[in-house]
Amino acid sequence: MKRILFMLTAMAVLVGPVGCSSESRNVTMHKPGIYKGAKDPVLALKNQQELIDRLKLVQSDR
Amino acid sequence: MKVSGAALGSGALIGLLPLSCMRQATTEEKRNFPRPDLQTEYRRTICTHCSVGCGIIAELQNGVWVGQEPDYESPFNLGGHCAKGAAARSHGFGHRRVKYPMKLVNGAWTRLSWDQAINEIGDKLLKIRQESGPDALFFCGSSKASNEGAYLQGKFAAFWGTNNVDNQARICHSTTVDGVANTWGYGAMTNSYNDMRNSKAMLFLGSNAAEAHPVAMLQILRAKEGGSKMIVVDPRFTRTAAHADIYARIRSGTDIPFIYGLLWHIFKNGWEDKDYIARRVYAMDDIRKEVEKWPPEEVENVSGIPKDKVYEIAMTMAKNRPSTIVWCMGVTQHHIASHTVRLFCILQLALGNIGMSGGGANIFRGHDNVQGATDVGPNCHTLSCYYGLAEGSWKHWAEVWGVDYEWIKSRFDMSRQYDAGGGKMAYTMNIPGIPVSRWIDGVMEDKNNLSQKDNIRAVFFQGHACNSQTRGVHMKQALEKLDMLVISDPHPTHMAVMSDRKNDTYLLPTATQYETYGTATASNRALQWREKIIEPLYESLPDHTILYKLAKKLGFEKEMFKNIKVTNDEPLIEDVLREINRGAWTIGYTGQSPERLKLHAQHRGTFDPLTLKAEGGPCKGDYYGLPWPCWGKPEMKHPGTPILYDPSKPVAEGGLVFRAAWGADYNGASLLAADGVYSKGSEIKTGYPEFTSDILKKLGWWDELTPDEKKAAEGKNWKTDLSGGIQRVVIKHGCAPFGNGRARCNVWTYPDPIPLHREPLYTPRFDLVKKYPTYPDRKAYWRLPTRYQSIQSVNHSAKYPLIFTSGRLVEYEGGGEEERSDPWLAKLRPEMFAEVNPKDAADAGIFNGQYIWLEGAEGGRIKVRALITKRVGPGTVFTPFHFGGWFQGKDLYDKYPEDTAPYVRGEACNTATTYGYDSVTQMQETKATLCRISPA
Amino acid sequence: MARMKFLCDAERCIDCNACVTACNNEHDVPWGINRRHVVTMSDGESGEKSISVACMHCTDAPCAAVCPVDCFYFTPDGIVLHDKDLCIGCGYCFYACPFGAPQFPEENSFAARGKMDKCTFCAGGPLPDRSVEEYKLYGRNRIAEGKLPLCAEMCATKALLGGDGDVVSDIYIQRVVKRGGRPDTWGWNTAYNFKPEKEKKP
Repeated sequence: MKRILFMLTAMAVLVGPVGCSSESRNVTMHKPGIYKGAKDPVLALKNQQELIDRLKLVQSDR
Repeated sequence: MKVSGAALGSGALIGLLPLSCMRQATTEEKRNFPRPDLQTEYRRTICTHCSVGCGIIAELQNGVWVGQEPDYESPFNLGGHCAKGAAARSHGFGHRRVKYPMKLVNGAWTRLSWDQAINEIGDKLLKIRQESGPDALFFCGSSKASNEGAYLQGKFAAFWGTNNVDNQARICHSTTVDGVANTWGYGAMTNSYNDMRNSKAMLFLGSNAAEAHPVAMLQILRAKEGGSKMIVVDPRFTRTAAHADIYARIRSGTDIPFIYGLLWHIFKNGWEDKDYIARRVYAMDDIRKEVEKWPPEEVENVSGIPKDKVYEIAMTMAKNRPSTIVWCMGVTQHHIASHTVRLFCILQLALGNIGMSGGGANIFRGHDNVQGATDVGPNCHTLSCYYGLAEGSWKHWAEVWGVDYEWIKSRFDMSRQYDAGGGKMAYTMNIPGIPVSRWIDGVMEDKNNLSQKDNIRAVFFQGHACNSQTRGVHMKQALEKLDMLVISDPHPTHMAVMSDRKNDTYLLPTATQYETYGTATASNRALQWREKIIEPLYESLPDHTILYKLAKKLGFEKEMFKNIKVTNDEPLIEDVLREINRGAWTIGYTGQSPERLKLHAQHRGTFDPLTLKAEGGPCKGDYYGLPWPCWGKPEMKHPGTPILYDPSKPVAEGGLVFRAAWGADYNGASLLAADGVYSKGSEIKTGYPEFTSDILKKLGWWDELTPDEKKAAEGKNWKTDLSGGIQRVVIKHGCAPFGNGRARCNVWTYPDPIPLHREPLYTPRFDLVKKYPTYPDRKAYWRLPTRYQSIQSVNHSAKYPLIFTSGRLVEYEGGGEEERSDPWLAKLRPEMFAEVNPKDAADAGIFNGQYIWLEGAEGGRIKVRALITKRVGPGTVFTPFHFGGWFQGKDLYDKYPEDTAPYVRGEACNTATTYGYDSVTQMQETKATLCRISPA
Repeated sequence: MARMKFLCDAERCIDCNACVTACNNEHDVPWGINRRHVVTMSDGESGEKSISVACMHCTDAPCAAVCPVDCFYFTPDGIVLHDKDLCIGCGYCFYACPFGAPQFPEENSFAARGKMDKCTFCAGGPLPDRSVEEYKLYGRNRIAEGKLPLCAEMCATKALLGGDGDVVSDIYIQRVVKRGGRPDTWGWNTAYNFKPEKEKKP
């Protein structure tokens, strides 16, 4: 009985830390609705007027 | 350990799979893309597809074409394109191009060098010339060449010694040019695409602008928005018809009855412009007589258009003026089309719509430079600029070219005279040559029936597809009979593979217009300057360089390029344009110098998109592209003529009157304009004939010429005075150099002086043939026997009950080889098809998407997919004509040289089309023939 | 500031495919994918209408809502973009999109779905603007160059408009007024019981 208990504890101690290794363990904990990708250096705000002028220049019914 | 070991094992297994199972990499290697670290250069050219003439802006990095930008400053397209223009950048890939000169050796394509190719071709041509005379060569030029390239093509043929030279215009609008010119002077679009916005009604007959001239729809739909009524009459409910206010389905080939039907209502209700007719038109009464024969019931019987629809269209055109009409291949590709187009002009004359903004006869030309090729380029029936082939014309051009007239004469076959038609005898130099629609008969016909020494033995096609000409089965036979075939084209074309030739066939890699520069004339007669975008790909050379090399081999390059600078075998384009300027007095291609055109291109944004006039800036006062006639020398700075025959402006500012081309009177009635009809500011306030040096002397204007001008102009007229003095002085006095005449409804030199309806040669209504027969067969017509009655007298409709017609798709153009080799366009239309009405499909037992055999009335068969649609009416089958690379069911992929087969291949519809040629211009009758269909 | 929007004026669209080809050209889109396509209804019959469709850059984009890896993001002016490095090619956005905008290149021997590709309003992706890497994955970034989508700029008849939503509306309203306030494009008949005469458009 004591031996079985000792073996079980030893296995638990030996096998347990398998889960502790950090390699390929980055699981995405899904928080829905929040973008997970790379950051986009967006210029849209800066050249808004430029784009409006372009639209009137190229696409209007001249 | 065991767990991770198992995972490792399975990964290794996947890696061991053979590579053939894996497809291409996912991120396909991007082609010629822009990099941020390189400098971008912008160049501008004109799209090489249709005659709208859209501006293209190319982005280049290190000479590589990496992008396109919208040319929003161009007054023609305002940045817009259709699919073809938007795909222009793919010309820089060249994956399917002919890359180096090749020839067939026992059926295998073998590479050779340019020198070898030119030497071999030249040697063979000289041998054939010696044995059979210069007329044994048929040299086909191109509507896709620039003005300069096309002009040199025509000149090449003249210096070789033959009139057997032609271009796509023959099978496009040749009937228009002749018929319309014979009505009022010039056979070109009278107004412009942009001017259509000023119209109050538009009638499209045989024109599918939405697919053939998509960017023109910008103007047309804006006109519609402005209240213009859009009427479309077509055998199919086309994409253009989808935007129409009124649509009428017409039977192919019955345009003349329809227009007479309109005129019936116009005359009956007194809607004609009586004042306009009295003052500016000749012989409208002859038309009135003919109209009596076309009451509404007969019109409906023949054309299939309901009576009330004809009335509605007539009323709409009459009550919404100025109204304009548009026609294209649907009208021109018939054997009576020279007469049909005249009737269209007569309709507009009756309504008083010619010579004003918003009216006009707006003829939409096809290829990007077919207008230019027609004007200055290779034509079998005339020298450059419609001078004709008489001795006077040759002398004029000999003077411009700087060669001795006798020397040019010696280049031709002067051994004997031949039948020039109607029993008249002449030398081949003065007889129209064999046109591109008939070259196969020049090869196959018994040579004793030809008006030249021998059959055509060699054919040189520079820039012309063959799958756009009729009778593909005969064409294959003709190709196999030839001694030599040379194809000078960016792509092999259907011609290289459709026959079973094994030898003496050459492919010369020719540069597209993106790889060279020059000018092109859009449909509204405006010239645009093109910049060179990229260097010629692989070993290709531009048209003019190839012509120079060949001329050198054949021994006449010194004479041909006398006044043209040549560097490294390439003639200078600007010099060629200047030579055109020096000689083109008939149609006013004299004022458009390279400098003026380059300035227009640079400042195109200053031209108003509606009037096409620059109100300010460096081009102030000019009309964009200096639309011809741009009278006088460039120094005179004529602004171009935006609207033909518009007397509301002085001639010096672009105004004009009708041409007085046929004398002062005929049959007791005056052919000159009435008193009080003259262009604004004219000092002569009545009709006057065309100007000669004698008339100037009589008027007392002769001394206004400079001494140099007097020397050149003595004894000459406004067309042959190389100094331009006559034109200059005449315009100074407010007069038009070509006279002030009347437009004529009766062309007494035509087979039918008044347009008459004649059923197509292959007609489904055999019952109408008795009442509306075709012409009797002819013996020597453009050097060839030509059949009419012998074909129509047989009832073909019993065996071939369906009308077979063909037309355009927006994604492809012309022979289609260029576009089907373009990955972006090819994926939009991957297969050849035939549109079949559900009724006919049910009768034949065909379901949608199935392969069918379409058999033409002369036995040619094509295997295509059936597209069941109500777009075509019952009794009509339609196919696009752009496909090639198949022949009677067989894919010819293996016959193409390596890596040149287009991505998309299909049957050429003209494999199944039939005999039929216009009675004035030899235009082919493609739009109305017969067929039958069956499941494959 | 208005959102970036596309509008295709069906009164002017002629199914010329310039928009489709301009997009293929600008971004060198691989064979088998058309980010933009033209849909024609009642083809060949009276009432035929064409309209050009690509990603509509929805405000409440269903594609973004259903993506299991949340690879979508919105620029401040409403352009919907996504990160291809994160995309797993599941195709859920394709299910959700009412316009069929997400497209998938075929990959590897089993033709499995590759990374989703769609119209980007010519605004590239999350990689550095105008870089070679951004071009290879997403195509050209015209917005960063101060230009608008090439499909709209190259439309033959100016049917397709793309840009600031307010200005696009202005342009379109002018046309509507010029036409007499009676566009018969979308359900006008249904909305107002307007029965046009046979084969005659108002």
